[in-house]
Amino acid sequence: MALKISDFLKSKAIVMEIKAKDKIEVINELVEHMVSHKFVKNGEEFVKALAKRENLESTGIGDGIAIPHARTNAVQDLVLAFARSPHGVDFSSIDGKPSYLIFLIASPENKKSEYIMALAKLSRLLRKQTVREKLRNAKSPDEVLTVIKQNEE
Amino acid sequence: MKCKKILLVLTEGMDQSIISEVVALCKKFRSRLFVLFVIDPHRIARLARLTHQTADKVYRKEEEEGWQLLYLVEDAAVGSGVWTSLHFEDGLAVNTLKKYVETYDIDLITMKRKDDHKRLFAASPVAVMGL
Repeated sequence: MALKISDFLKSKAIVMEIKAKDKIEVINELVEHMVSHKFVKNGEEFVKALAKRENLESTGIGDGIAIPHARTNAVQDLVLAFARSPHGVDFSSIDGKPSYLIFLIASPENKKSEYIMALAKLSRLLRKQTVREKLRNAKSPDEVLTVIKQNEE
Repeated sequence: MKCKKILLVLTEGMDQSIISEVVALCKKFRSRLFVLFVIDPHRIARLARLTHQTADKVYRKEEEEGWQLLYLVEDAAVGSGVWTSLHFEDGLAVNTLKKYVETYDIDLITMKRKDDHKRLFAASPVAVMGL
């Protein structure tokens, strides 16, 4: 069966307004949120894996989107989180613009194909301008999930 | 030859065999790797005609595979400590390639050695390495 983003993104892993303004602070805040909701066991190791990756690539894919991601055994299964930044965060995006919609993806080391598929699905979904607009205007985590469910294939 | 920035050009139907070679090259020269996947609308239309599918269906399949290929390259590159930047574009490969060379000041282009790519080799404003 095809992998669906909506199967992995849980309502409790959605932060409608993230406070942090810097990319490492955003990652920290989002990981803390995931740890507090028991999506992640080892927050420190998770942040380390994400930060290492941020130094080696730009996870800001343009159009106001950033997808920080990592394969790390700090998680036991594929996990996703979403945060919205009202002011935008500098993720060294390829178009030089700030990121307002931030999706975080992680999987254990041994789930590479699932991880690649999730990244590909999400990147494809977020190329649609209507999806980006709806996510920016969504009023609640449930509305975010509805937008994703209605637009993913 | 200066090799600070290498552009790997991927197109539809590309296999994964060149990934490790490109990553090794970047590691050796300490180059930054820009990875570009281009979907050519003419090729999509041709494939749709040949396979009796709608262009939209063919496009969606290519788009999904393109992103997967980009992230596979990225996973291999980052795992080897190579700085990487992923790019996805629709358009004619020749024009897109020229735009990227100019925008990112690319020193070398790498791509799969294929008959389809002959015109890309010929049109490139910088050296091309066929793998």
